[in-house]
Order: sequence, then structure tokens, then C-alpha cells
Amino acid sequence: MDVARLKNSFARIAMHGDEVPLHFYSDLFLKHPETRPMFPVSMQAQRAHLVDALVSVVSGVDDLDSLTVFLRDLGRGHRKFGTLAAHYEAVGDSLLATFAHFCGDSWDATLEADWRDAYELVAGVMTAAAQEDEERYPAYWSGTVVAHERRTFDVAILTVHAEPRLEYAPGQSVAVESPARPRLWRYYSMANAPREDGTVEFHVRLVDGGAVSMALTAATAAGTGLRIGPAVGVLRLDTTSGRDVLMVAGSTGLAPLKSMLEQVTRLQQPPRVHLFFGARDADGLYDLPSLEKLAAEHLWLTVVPTVTRGRFAGHTGALADVVTSYGDWSDRDAYIAGPTEMVQDTASRLAAGGLPVSQIHVEDFGWSEP
Amino acid sequence: MTTDAWYDEQRRLTPDDVRAVTFPLTRWGRHGYDEEPVRAFVADVHAEMVRLINERASLWQEVQRLRRRILGKETGNDGILFGKDDAHIHAVRILSSAQRTADRYVADAQAYSGRLTEEARARRDEIMGQAQQHADMLLEEAQTRARTAAVDAMNRDGLPPQTDHERRAVQAELAYLRTFSDVYRQHLRIYTEDVLRTIEDWETKERAAARDIPLASQHAPSIGWQHSS
Repeated sequence: MDVARLKNSFARIAMHGDEVPLHFYSDLFLKHPETRPMFPVSMQAQRAHLVDALVSVVSGVDDLDSLTVFLRDLGRGHRKFGTLAAHYEAVGDSLLATFAHFCGDSWDATLEADWRDAYELVAGVMTAAAQEDEERYPAYWSGTVVAHERRTFDVAILTVHAEPRLEYAPGQSVAVESPARPRLWRYYSMANAPREDGTVEFHVRLVDGGAVSMALTAATAAGTGLRIGPAVGVLRLDTTSGRDVLMVAGSTGLAPLKSMLEQVTRLQQPPRVHLFFGARDADGLYDLPSLEKLAAEHLWLTVVPTVTRGRFAGHTGALADVVTSYGDWSDRDAYIAGPTEMVQDTASRLAAGGLPVSQIHVEDFGWSEP
Repeated sequence: MTTDAWYDEQRRLTPDDVRAVTFPLTRWGRHGYDEEPVRAFVADVHAEMVRLINERASLWQEVQRLRRRILGKETGNDGILFGKDDAHIHAVRILSSAQRTADRYVADAQAYSGRLTEEARARRDEIMGQAQQHADMLLEEAQTRARTAAVDAMNRDGLPPQTDHERRAVQAELAYLRTFSDVYRQHLRIYTEDVLRTIEDWETKERAAARDIPLASQHAPSIGWQHSS
């Protein structure tokens, strides 16, 4: 298998943009019509997912260890869609037919063999991970909403009972599918540390035009059933570093950090924690009372609410500005979650202030699902 | 004719090159282009390049097909206008175009629901703002009256009302103030209830709208701004 040749041909294929995944799915659905119902009506996002995954695989070939981690997650993640081993073969055939189509006359037996080998490798890792997973876990967890609280116009808090018990580490997230929006899965972080009664909390922010977030905030009530995928994500509390902690949460980015905060309350020797909780306006600080209660119970915790605009008896301004204005955080472990822009802004400002990059942990949704 | 003739082996400008291009910003105080229109133009150029590349590729395929057909005729193998592969590619194209149409419908519906939410939010902010203003006004008025009453009371301090007439006047004043406070409390309550009802109406409508929209397609996350909805 000639990696340089694969990369070269992929670069050419990629020049055709969205036509490539469009051709692939049309080819797949024509040859295997039974696969069509596994996908949502609109395939736009789906195609972008496929391209992202292909790019990750092709560019990750040089770092096989992390590529394997990525592919194993991808394989496990595909179980909830009902993907079977037979589907991998169908996908492989259509993928090769698509590549052949876009390579034109530069497609030959050698290149085809290279791509076939590469795909078999990828499919092998994914199916192996899926099979191992199958022995221990269901394809998806059945969730039932036990409480639905609309905290603000934009934010709802869902308490969900998952069956069987959902295993996860604070900071992780799961894909959730609402019966109102079949085959559309969105990732939400658990907002609590694992509980005795097996319930988890999700903080859902209504995204304008967001199909799933709208269903979960407005068209969901106690009793609604949800499907839940396996826990994923690498955001974890480092309990061994001995360093104090800085947490920066923008809006519902609070969820994974609150889960980790609960984890800290269970530690023998909790580190000092500063939690900055920011929102657009005072109304957006949807969980401030419970955070302040937590801070009142625990001396090691300081909660600093900030808003970007409007009336507020506290800090106003960009979250990154407020955090850095507090001074030197370079001896902390930092955990940041929220809107991409705010996360990147805060991370780079902290790094510029002398905080080693290895001590900055952000909510990482870097994987995707075809 | 050698393979791959429409690709040049030399490094050429690709759509991705165009999309990834960045230029250093000008220093403050000097003239530079507004970034937004430049980005929009770059996006247009990128889309156009992809379109051209695809058009060129399908023309190339058409040329190859016709060439095969002519060669086939020359060698006595009578050309077939559409081979089995051609028919499949044709079907793929039709399905692709149908998919694009479906995507567009979903995107439109989603954009519409997005606009509805935005409007509802703006409407709610407006109602809340007005309510706040109104409440502030009522409060201020009540405080002014209370202050006036206090000042009046202070002025009479030490001089209890001597005559029946004076006593009656003070009692009347007190009764008036009590009624005033009751009426305003009532007024505020009704007003607040009305505001809440309006917001509830909006919520119900919005919920109905959310139920009626049949679709979906992905957006960024959840918390997942990082993948997008």
C-alpha cells in the first residue's frame, strides 16, 4: 500500500467538493436501497461528516495510534445507527466506485488495490471495536425523560433515566436522538457526576432553526423516550496533577464542567476551584443559584458570573477578558467549554498569559460520524 | 491520448487553496478592504472553481464515452449509446439531484423555523423591556407619593390634629393612600399576569411550530457548537 499515492489521489478526488459524497450516497442507495432509511431526510450534514471522516483518515495515516483511537470510536458510535458488518462491504464498494469515478483515467488496478487495502484496514478496526463493544453494551441506551424544566427562553434542563445504567466519566458526552427528529443525533454532555439512581442531566440550549435542540427544549416533556449513544469525549478532570483548577464555562458549556465540579466534591483533598460562568445577559446565567449554593457549601469553590451585555450586578465583558483580568492562572489546570469562539479565545489568551498548553483542557468534539 | 489529461501534474491552484487563503491585516490607521465582502467573494470563487472542475470532469467523461463509441464502430463493435455503466452513472446523477432538492426543502424549513424563534425572542425581549419600564415607572410614582406623604406627616409632627375637621382630613388622606396602594398593587398584578400570558402564548405557538416542522438536518451541536448547531 503506497501511502503517498493514496494521499495524492485523495487530494485530486477532494477537488470535486460536495459532488464526491453526493455521488457516493447516490451510488450506495441505488445498489443497496435498504440503507436509505438509516439516514435523515436531509443529507447535507451527513455528507460533510463523511468528508470530515475521510480527511481524518487520510491525513491521520502517519499517526496510526491516534487514527486507531478515532476509528474505534467511530466503529462503536456506528452501532446506534443499526450498522451491521454487511453494511461495511456495501459502503466499501460504493466508496471505491466513487473514487474510480472521480479519478477518471488515472484510476488503475494498482490504485484500486491500494484503496481496497486501506478500506479493509479501516473497516476491520471499526467492526472489531463494534464487536467488542457488543459483548458489553447495547447498541443504544433507552432513556426516559423524568423531568423537563425550561429554565429560560433558551435553556431547558432534562433529567433522564437511562436503561441499562449509563457508564461515563464526568466531562464526557453522549449522542441523543429525539423521537420527534428520528435519525438526527446530537451530542450533549452529562451535567452531573454518575448517580446512584442512574439519572443524568442534560443542559439543552435552543439553537435558532436547530431541529433537535428545538425538539428537546419545546416538544419534550416528562415521559418522552430518548435514545442515547455510548459516552464519548476526552475531557476529564486530572485528579493526579496536584494543581488547583480554573474552569471557564460559556452558556450550556457549563454542563461538562458542573459534572466535574461534582466529582471534585467527592475528592478527599479537593483542589481550589475558580469557576467563571458567562452568558450573553443575566437571563442566560440559567444555573447560577445552584452554583452559588455549591460555593456556599464548599470553601474551595469560587464562582464568578459574567455577562457580555445588559444590566448585571457583576462583571460585564467578554469571558476571556474577565478571566485574564483576574491575573495569573499559569499554575492551574484549566478546563474550558462553550461556544467554539469563546473556547478558542479563552484558551489562546490563557496560553499567552503563560499557562502551559498541556494544562489547558477544552471540550473536544473533534470526531464525526458518517 | 494519455490518461488524466485535464489534470496538470504541476501544482495548480485548487479550490481548497482559495478557501484557505489568508492575508495579513493592515496596521491601524491605514486603508484596507472590509474583511466580510472579501470572505464572501473568496467563498464565491471557491464554489465556482468546484463547479468548473466538476463540469470539466463530466465533459471529459462524455468525450471518453464518445471516443470509445467511435473506436468501437471502427473496430466493428457497434457502439451502444449507453452502456450499463453509463446507465448507472445516469441514475446516480438523477438521485443526486433529487437529494439536493430534498436538502433544499429541509434547509428552507429549518431557516423558517429559525426565523420564527428569532422573532419570538425579539418579541419577548420587547415585552419584557416594556414591562420593566412600566414597573419602574409605577414604583417611582408610588415612591414619590410616599415621600410626599412622609414630608407632610413630618411637618405636622408634634402638632396632633386639633380639630375634628383636621382629624377627618388626615383620616381621609390615609384612606386615600391605602386605596391608592391597593389599586396599584392590583394594577401591577394584572399587568404582570398579562405579560406572562402573552409570553405563554408565544411559547405555545412556538411549540406548535416546532411540532409541525417535519424535518431535520444537522446543525451544530447542542453544546456542540464545535461541530456546529
